[in-house]
Amino acid sequence: MPLSYAVLQLSGCSGCEVSLLNADVWTKEQTLAYMPLVLSIEDLPPVDLLLVSGAVNSEDDYDRLQQAVHRACRVVAVGTCAISGGVANLGTRESAQEVFLVDPARRHLPRLLPKLRPVDAIVPVDLYLPGCPPTPRLFEALLGQAPSFLPAKTVCQDCGRVKTRTRPDRLASTAGGAIDPEVCLINQGYLCIGSSTRGGCGAPCTRAGNACVGCRGPSNGFIARSANEWFTAIKRVFQNMTAIPDPEIDAALRSPALSLFVFQFADYTGMSRDPGKVL
Amino acid sequence: MATLTIPLSRIEGHARVVIAISNGQAVSAHFQATELRGFDRFVQGAPAEQVPSIASRICGVCSTAHHLAATKAIENIYGVAVPTKAVRIRELMMLGQVIQNQATSLFMFTMPDLPGQTGVPSLFHLDEVHSKIAPRALAVRRVGTALITLAGGQCIHPVRAVIGGVLGGITHAAAEEMRAQLAQALTRAQFLLDAYWALFEGLEDRIGTLGDDSPTYYMAAIEHGHAFYGEQLRLMAPDGTAVEPFAACDYAQYLTDVPIEGSYSDGTLYRGELLRANSLARINLDPHPSTPLALAYTDRFWAEWGYPAHAILLFDLARGIELVYALERARELLDEDLETGELRAAYTPGDGGGCGLVEAPRGPLIHHYRVERGLIQEARFVIPTQHNILAIERALLVAARRYISPKGIDLELERAVGRVVRAFDPCIACATH
Repeated sequence: MPLSYAVLQLSGCSGCEVSLLNADVWTKEQTLAYMPLVLSIEDLPPVDLLLVSGAVNSEDDYDRLQQAVHRACRVVAVGTCAISGGVANLGTRESAQEVFLVDPARRHLPRLLPKLRPVDAIVPVDLYLPGCPPTPRLFEALLGQAPSFLPAKTVCQDCGRVKTRTRPDRLASTAGGAIDPEVCLINQGYLCIGSSTRGGCGAPCTRAGNACVGCRGPSNGFIARSANEWFTAIKRVFQNMTAIPDPEIDAALRSPALSLFVFQFADYTGMSRDPGKVL
Repeated sequence: MATLTIPLSRIEGHARVVIAISNGQAVSAHFQATELRGFDRFVQGAPAEQVPSIASRICGVCSTAHHLAATKAIENIYGVAVPTKAVRIRELMMLGQVIQNQATSLFMFTMPDLPGQTGVPSLFHLDEVHSKIAPRALAVRRVGTALITLAGGQCIHPVRAVIGGVLGGITHAAAEEMRAQLAQALTRAQFLLDAYWALFEGLEDRIGTLGDDSPTYYMAAIEHGHAFYGEQLRLMAPDGTAVEPFAACDYAQYLTDVPIEGSYSDGTLYRGELLRANSLARINLDPHPSTPLALAYTDRFWAEWGYPAHAILLFDLARGIELVYALERARELLDEDLETGELRAAYTPGDGGGCGLVEAPRGPLIHHYRVERGLIQEARFVIPTQHNILAIERALLVAARRYISPKGIDLELERAVGRVVRAFDPCIACATH
């Protein structure tokens, strides 16, 4: 029997779905049973695997998630939004609520929940596929199309940049300056957190010269630990590889410049998730 | 008064159509976006230089367009002149974006509407005669994503555009390899567009209409020979005459927001008048594209449907012509040396307001930010899908009146509603952000 799967999209950007479309999974071994983005079908049929992308943001998301999980043998939380709320978790909810409240013509719309929630705050999740978005290769691994795929432990292992003895004494400015295409970004003074971030993505960002911001979340070693331990570990990497003063690293790690993804590490550590369930 | 709610699929995001019926007549049709995240609120307080990677998350379908509009807006505030080669590489990102989007929209979203008496649920449900279409469509879309990856580092939420330029060049070897992929994709795209065109004519014969064909304003941020990078906003009036173009930062003088009943997305009017953006606007504004195959297809298009074209289902065919154009144009750009030379200008961060414009697949996209002490104080996103919402509603009403009568509701209505909405290829994640 081919593996049947459904894709339920909550509040997100469709990036996970687009990445899935790029994967080699359109074969006889899988049956796509439900995915409104590309398939017109009224109801979600019973399936082996339910992929949930996006965060639980509105009462509509909440209802659809509750109904869908009963039709699936296993539930997979796909992407950063489904796992930790993602980018939409950056701001205060009050300001988004205002948009809903100011216009009486919006009274028939799905209400926004007081707090945006990850999927496993509402229903049990069997597997996690983190990434913003997860790469096509990871979707292939999830859907059994990449039996030989062994994800790297960290982005560092995926990256392939060479570590040198160069010890920069200050963080690199983002305002111009050439980036060496071969040398580790930390050796060039960039605030890269690839050493603690889960691998398996193939490190497209760091290879392109952009420091890792941690969209795949913590590597296995950090999932069950507190955010403070994670900060300390990253700081230690910079102490070993650079001569940047500690206070500068501390400030940078807690700066808004990393705000996009860093909060999700804290979310992980608050939820005590099993590393064995994370792809 | 009764209302009829019709759910939608094969579009980006969550939306529905609500038609009000009174005495057997459709009296109104609304296109309602039912999701909201609130990007304009939560980017407040973020460092300006982080915005290109935050704002790309507005939409995973159009992430390249948002990534570049945000980058250009911050550059506008800082007063940075981007080196020509970096602009070329960004243009390649946009062309990849257009290839990926038009292939997705044309083949995954609208093509299933065409065959037989009722269409099929998805691209993967086409019959034996059309069995070559799905694999080729997937292959063409992948070349678009490969091009974004080559130029942008990552195909969804790209990372290589930075304030002042791009992080790296494109080696001659990689450019050559991509040119070969584009050549192969071009052959496939022609096959697919020809197949689409034949099925499209079959649909027209079956339903006897191409939908709402009343003229409107058309708006696009393109020039002849463009690569969707966006310089200024150009318009065509409903009578076909050109209108004075305007600059991105002047948008508020020309475009006004109109709240849509029961929707998280507003619509847009141009000086109080209905307008359309997306493929049909671009083909009307640049009727003789600069590349040979796209030119041959547009000649056929004008011979068959007349210039300028107004019937909404023609958005779909125009998208196919743009797919061919983007593949051809990308090959041309990859002829240039993009490996060596200046790719990134130094800059001094500063405060103030500024706008960034690109021609996204769905039309002109503007990001407008005000920066204070290096942080975003205010953000406004002027979204292409919003420009089309009132045009979508008018076209929906035209379809509803065709299929709803005192005698009853024709079963074709639900399919017609799907076709109307998909013709505009709306993106709800963008429209509501």
